[in-house]
Amino acid sequence: MNWLRNYAFIAIAAIIATMVAAGPALAHHSFAMFDQSKKVTVQGTVKDFRWSNPHVFIQLLVKNDAGIEEEWSIEMTSPEHLARVGWRPGTLKAGDKITLVLHPLRDGTIKGGQYLSGIGPDGQPLLGSPASPGEGK
Amino acid sequence: MAALATALVAKSAAKTGAPSTALPDWSGQWENVGATPDATGGFNQTLEQVLKQMEWSPPLNAATKAKVDAMQARERKRLEAVARGEDPGGAFTACTFGYPGLMLDTPLMFEVLITPKETALIFSSREIRHIYTDGRPHTRKEDLWATPWGDSIGHWEGQTLVMDTIAVKDPYGPEDSGSDVSAFGDVEGFLTIGILTQQAHFIERMRMIDPGHLEDQMTIIDPANLTAPWHMRRTYERVAHIHRMVYEDCDGEDRNPVVNGKFTLTPPPPDTPPTASAPAPKSAQPAPPK
Repeated sequence: MNWLRNYAFIAIAAIIATMVAAGPALAHHSFAMFDQSKKVTVQGTVKDFRWSNPHVFIQLLVKNDAGIEEEWSIEMTSPEHLARVGWRPGTLKAGDKITLVLHPLRDGTIKGGQYLSGIGPDGQPLLGSPASPGEGK
Repeated sequence: MAALATALVAKSAAKTGAPSTALPDWSGQWENVGATPDATGGFNQTLEQVLKQMEWSPPLNAATKAKVDAMQARERKRLEAVARGEDPGGAFTACTFGYPGLMLDTPLMFEVLITPKETALIFSSREIRHIYTDGRPHTRKEDLWATPWGDSIGHWEGQTLVMDTIAVKDPYGPEDSGSDVSAFGDVEGFLTIGILTQQAHFIERMRMIDPGHLEDQMTIIDPANLTAPWHMRRTYERVAHIHRMVYEDCDGEDRNPVVNGKFTLTPPPPDTPPTASAPAPKSAQPAPPK
């Protein structure tokens, strides 16, 4: 039955406790790889803003505790959804210094997370973000 | 039931083919009220808000209710697996939502292209509902088979588009499956499912209730699964931040493969240049308008 398509957003729904709509392609769209019980805040420099389907990614260079730069892959929603919030392919550019709040990956083999909110290079909340990092749904 | 359908749908065949000057202008992009996305993939209304707006009250008969309960129990187990990061199977790789979900419970945007003989509802999943308003009847039984979008005809009653849809099946179910209706697909949403047969008959009355909103009054007639016609109301609002159609692509640069039964995230493809940091080559620049 076609509610099976809704897995795409179910992982989010469990956390944000808000209405979550349908989406096909479970394997492609699931956020189940992210630990919805945890939030982390990362500061870094945008290496690449990948305006890609089915999901957009921010590739962020973040210094770890040892001062070594690591690349994080921050997964967002689809370009269509982001466009409806006001995002565009040029919203972030390489070199931008930003702060992001995210659900981290369960598997730490690479650095990554699910985008929740952020502060842009101008110090203002990124579009579609709560008023400040840490207030993510 | 058939009499009700007839009364709801075909008040007058003469009302089809109205002059194009009399047809309304519903141009622009529309989205389900409550399904305005945020940057996290979430949306802007709770399930309770949506249910209230939809006047949600599916009149399921006892047999259908039992099926719904059993399916919900199965689905909850699958959801528990998803919450653990596991792939419960049953993945779909197509951007197909199907009717009636397209009108009720999707995060998509759509356009309404109105012509005298046909109205097309064009969705960002690249699905299209063709509503023929040229006075034709439904496709004859010998030539008809169920599809995820059904067979739709319609007519105009003033500024209201009356749509009549039959032969709907689930996009992902077996060939003999019907369709289902859910308010929204979150965990709670699995409590709000109506299961329909392929004999379900859908009647919609769509109109603009103010310059910023369309309304769809949907009645579902399915005596095999419902004790009475099921009425719902859905409203759509204008998309705020973009004024052209942008499509979903459910394949694209897939970085979430399932490995050993777990969802994963892969690094970006190593052989592709950064997209936001490099200017497009001159050959890729669009030509200036002439």
